Amino acid sequence: MNISTENVESVTVVRLEGNLDTNTSSQAQDRLNQLIEGGASKILVNFADVDFVSSAGLRILLATAKKLTGSGGNLRISNLNETVAEVFEISGFSTILNVFGSEQEALQGF
Amino acid sequence: MNRLGSIAIRQPESVLEARKKIRLVTEAVTGDSLIATRLATVTSELARRMARENTSARIEVSIDDSQRGRVLSVDFVGQEHCPDAALLTSFFDDVETDGTNTVRGVLSLPGDLLLDDARLATLEAIVQQKGRDELMAEIQAKNLELQESLDNLRRTRSAKERMESELNIGRDIQMSMLPLSFPAFPDRREFDVHAALYPAREVGGDFYDLFLIDSDHFCFCVGDVSGKGVPAALFMAVTKTLIKSRAANDLSPASILSHVNTELSQRNESCMFVTVFLAILQTRTGEMVYANAGHNPPYVQRGAGGLVRLDQRHGPVIGAMEGIAYREDDTKLEPGDLVFLYTDGVTEAMNPASHLYSETRLQEVLTQNRCSVAKNAVDLGVEDVWRFQADADQADDITVMAVIYSGAAPEAALHELELRIENRLEEIDRVNATFNGFAERNELPAKLRRKLNLVFDELLNNIVSYAYDDESEHTIAIHIRLYDDRLTVMITDDGKPFNPFERQTPDVGLSVEDRPIGGLGVHLVRSVMDTATYERHGGNNVVRLEKRIDPDEQN
Repeated sequence: MNISTENVESVTVVRLEGNLDTNTSSQAQDRLNQLIEGGASKILVNFADVDFVSSAGLRILLATAKKLTGSGGNLRISNLNETVAEVFEISGFSTILNVFGSEQEALQGF
Repeated sequence: MNRLGSIAIRQPESVLEARKKIRLVTEAVTGDSLIATRLATVTSELARRMARENTSARIEVSIDDSQRGRVLSVDFVGQEHCPDAALLTSFFDDVETDGTNTVRGVLSLPGDLLLDDARLATLEAIVQQKGRDELMAEIQAKNLELQESLDNLRRTRSAKERMESELNIGRDIQMSMLPLSFPAFPDRREFDVHAALYPAREVGGDFYDLFLIDSDHFCFCVGDVSGKGVPAALFMAVTKTLIKSRAANDLSPASILSHVNTELSQRNESCMFVTVFLAILQTRTGEMVYANAGHNPPYVQRGAGGLVRLDQRHGPVIGAMEGIAYREDDTKLEPGDLVFLYTDGVTEAMNPASHLYSETRLQEVLTQNRCSVAKNAVDLGVEDVWRFQADADQADDITVMAVIYSGAAPEAALHELELRIENRLEEIDRVNATFNGFAERNELPAKLRRKLNLVFDELLNNIVSYAYDDESEHTIAIHIRLYDDRLTVMITDDGKPFNPFERQTPDVGLSVEDRPIGGLGVHLVRSVMDTATYERHGGNNVVRLEKRIDPDEQN
């Protein structure tokens, strides 16, 4: 999976491309951990180019959210396709994570 | 006064026969099976006492026009002792006794009861039906004649041995007429049928049959010929043959029974008759049309729960009177419904204390147990009778049949994809890539494709990570079938037995801090699919999934 990052003011925007599943999650996890260790405390993950997310992907999002809230930071999510949004809904992640429609909305007041 | 006949009470068998006759006659004139069963029960109880106290006793049955209107009179006539009238009072409308040797039970009949000559003939045929001991005496006499005329030197064979051999011939005829090989239709997935017949020590007249009329009509029936011995066996053979030949081009149970009745009634000097329940199941739709000619009402165990007694009567017993037009009813069997048929050998089986097995007990067994295989239902019924009967003699043939409707046979898939992968996580990508190609070729909606991607990721991850205790290579098979209206997936692995769907639904309402990591995958699979089932089959874990395709969904 391709992962690119961009700093927008104090927020680190992470753009994922591919699927967030069994075989790609550890790669995404490593990258997110790297960013946190490098001092990032506000992370926005943009899912615009993610086809589907499985529980392995949800797991690393949850781990990242826990890490950030533990150190006074925050995780935001944006641009879910319909299927991924449904998975967030079913799993309850839509209520425990901060999900936004677009990157712009997510950046506001972050 | 219309005297219907006399029933001699001598042997324990004649008590059972009296019971059956009183039940059939009472039901014929009242149309009420409950009253008929009650009268039959008290009759058999009193008859049993009379048989103990008298060397010779009898029951006289007649229909009279008295001051209280038309009545059914049952006279219990003792020889040495007067029968005990007290027993009858709560069963009959009136009880009269002459104080010497006769007690009469009187039952009021409906005023509009049709009682023409033909009807009377039917009732007389029921009452005067020859009993087991009378038939035995006849057979014995015939055998003696035969023996004398054949060879005086062969007298070493006793009349009794002769009779036994004739009874054996009768039983051979009876058993050779039955389909005994099960599964009877191994290539038919729409239904499962099983039947068993246990003949009484002496030959009885039970029979059953099951056959396909055409590719989607399955006919099954259970019957009981009155009387015993070779004549009953031959009558049964004729009945069964007539039913099958008529059914070959007649899909109406009512019509089949009407024709068979006319054939049998025309030349029936021995006045035998037969009770029959016959049904035809349309195997694609589950529609079942049935007709009951004086037989014990079968039961339908609904797969969704509930027990239904098919208690409609569609005409009298077969063979007693020409020209009867039988009726029929229908019901729809849903997949999982079970039809349970039996003969009165079940409900009238006796335990050592001379109590009857009874329909109540049968109902309890059918209420408390469910079977998904027809053979198990038959075994269940029969074994409960054996348990009840204990070491008492089996007085009558015992026959049980079960038919389970499983639903229409699956139609052929439009497109299929079969994949075999090794138990490595990287293989999941290959599955999803191959499936995406399949989805694209068949223009599946993107939403559906993504859901299947998710499902493969979750389930294959589970299998690869947790199913194997060894380090060796295993194969996981994935079979995808696309139909008009749905997509199905079957995943098979040879790992240790594990039902993923037994896991509890995780608490998805917990906050980020309280939320344990993991346990979600199977929940997601169950949520995005319409059905998800697990079975252990031949040393494999088999997971089956189904997702309906919404024809309007293009995204």
